[in-house]
Amino acid sequence: MLARSFVPKSVAHEKLTALLGRNGNMYASIVVSVMVAILILPFFAPHDPYQAQFLFRLQPPSLDYPLGTDAMGRCVFSRLLYGARLTTASAIIVVIASSLFGSLLGTVAAMIGGTPDRILMRFCEGISVFPALAISMIIAGVLGLGLNAVIIALIAIHWTDYARIVRNAVIVERAKPYVMAAEALGATHHRIARRHILPNIIGPLLTLGAYSMSWVILSFAGLSFLGLGVEPGTPEWGLMIAESRNYLRDYPRLVLAPGLTIAGFVIAVNLLGDALGDRFRLSQINYLH
Amino acid sequence: MEISCIILMQLHITCDINSNRARCGFEFPVHSARWKIDPMASRLAARIAHALVLLLAVSVAGFALLRLMPGDFAEVLLMAQMDGTLPDASQVARFADTHGLNDPLPVQYLRWLGGLMQGDLGLSLVTREPIITDILLRIEQSLILAICALAVALLLAVPIGILCAIYPDSKIDRVAGIISVIGMSIPNFWYSLLLALLFSLALGWLPTGGHGTWQHAILPTLVIATSITGVLSRFVRSSLLEELSKPYIRTARAKGGRRRRVVLHHAIPNIVPGLLTFSGLQFARIFDGMIIVETLFAWPGIGRYLVESLLNRDYPAIQACFLLIAASYILVNLVVDITISVYDPRTREIV
Repeated sequence: MLARSFVPKSVAHEKLTALLGRNGNMYASIVVSVMVAILILPFFAPHDPYQAQFLFRLQPPSLDYPLGTDAMGRCVFSRLLYGARLTTASAIIVVIASSLFGSLLGTVAAMIGGTPDRILMRFCEGISVFPALAISMIIAGVLGLGLNAVIIALIAIHWTDYARIVRNAVIVERAKPYVMAAEALGATHHRIARRHILPNIIGPLLTLGAYSMSWVILSFAGLSFLGLGVEPGTPEWGLMIAESRNYLRDYPRLVLAPGLTIAGFVIAVNLLGDALGDRFRLSQINYLH
Repeated sequence: MEISCIILMQLHITCDINSNRARCGFEFPVHSARWKIDPMASRLAARIAHALVLLLAVSVAGFALLRLMPGDFAEVLLMAQMDGTLPDASQVARFADTHGLNDPLPVQYLRWLGGLMQGDLGLSLVTREPIITDILLRIEQSLILAICALAVALLLAVPIGILCAIYPDSKIDRVAGIISVIGMSIPNFWYSLLLALLFSLALGWLPTGGHGTWQHAILPTLVIATSITGVLSRFVRSSLLEELSKPYIRTARAKGGRRRRVVLHHAIPNIVPGLLTFSGLQFARIFDGMIIVETLFAWPGIGRYLVESLLNRDYPAIQACFLLIAASYILVNLVVDITISVYDPRTREIV
């Protein structure tokens, strides 16, 4: 496999080409199946992730508890599996909501043009260069913390990226002859946007979606770690790390396990983004949030 | 007054918040030609005016922030003054009257802005002391951390980026690329814990938290620095690669310039402005890193203050942090832009 691989010119891909070759489709399908599996994963949890058993606290890994138990005697493995569901679900909600909202506004701005377009783009650029974590923390804090507040805050920060990318893509598409032909045939703005332009910008949108999902996962875990995310006791990866912090010296596995899970998950999602970007022949888009 | 407002608005539109593009998209020459002003001075004036307009917008957002929170503002303030007991309606009404909370919002905003100009950020709901004293104490600590982190990151990233650009697709380049992808995928807070585990708990070389000696600063600096090193080195690499493909480099090589000399004396000076802008944009990442690191290593800076005030629901303090973050972001980019126009005569000519 490695012998047949070659180095393509796309910047998005070259970082990992050295390791992985050029089987974008394969990786995409792998990661997609992993994501689907994650939604069924909690059924494989051997224990209740919420059930605290102080008799079994800080157990080493065994057959019964594959990754041992934490300071409250909860099964770490089960909590990781449930955490996968929570993280994936929230991240997908954030990505879908912000991509819908952002691409709607971006398309409208590109189709209208002029001053509304300029104002929207200034606004989006303004938001997307501020410290994203800080601003989402502040929004979540003002809204009163908790899972819903965090999701709303992440959406509020995040839609601007989609608006910018979609707006630029629509402007590029709009200048192409086939759109002019459609216009000459008397198609309305609405019809052009829906029937001609949107199907052609779905590639950049999907790629951005994958990259932004990795950002959302990291922010979500970070906010929970700081105590500004989900309720204490919820099986969430960032929170699991925060709760095991005091046991770092004697039981480093309690911190290592969720951390490695997050890192692996994010790397997988980034790979999906690379594969998609490759497939749609995109050069690097702005995913270095 | 009205005219100057219009000009300000135009500046706001013609300048780009993203200063990377500002250098290309700047539409000020028309004005400077008409007014016969030194282009450099007019660019400076435009940039400062732009920053002022942004600051104004930020102050409106900051003011709105406190009004957005759940519950009646007067009631929340009064409740904090009365140690958390719920005030009755007449008390709230009297309090709102005496503090001018029933005035129209624009009037309240102007009054608040006037106080802000004099450094009055209000009282903390928790300690009931002026927030400004807290902020001033912490801002220095955060600055130290940010500057050290940026310096370390540049010291690491520039040589790595140059090496990768000189030897593209070599082993160094591949390893650096893989590390930077992994670095982007690892959560900051987890990485800090791993470093603390290694250097403080296992090896016992460094303290786990606190501040005072230079040893306390090492781990926080290292975490923030490495979190931006990957991105910075990739940026250096790609911009240097682009520069090296230009004809003047080929000419320099054809005239017998040695490779090292061509890279160091011809190509590098041309990527500095871009690198400066990019480093300015890294402010956002540095600050995000500081929030995590200051909380983890008990470093008394702005990031930790923000987390504490969020957890305590200390709304005036949150507002102060927001204003500070936004203002310093604007300031950093202003300084970067001015530095670039001093460094690079071309940007002055374009303007």
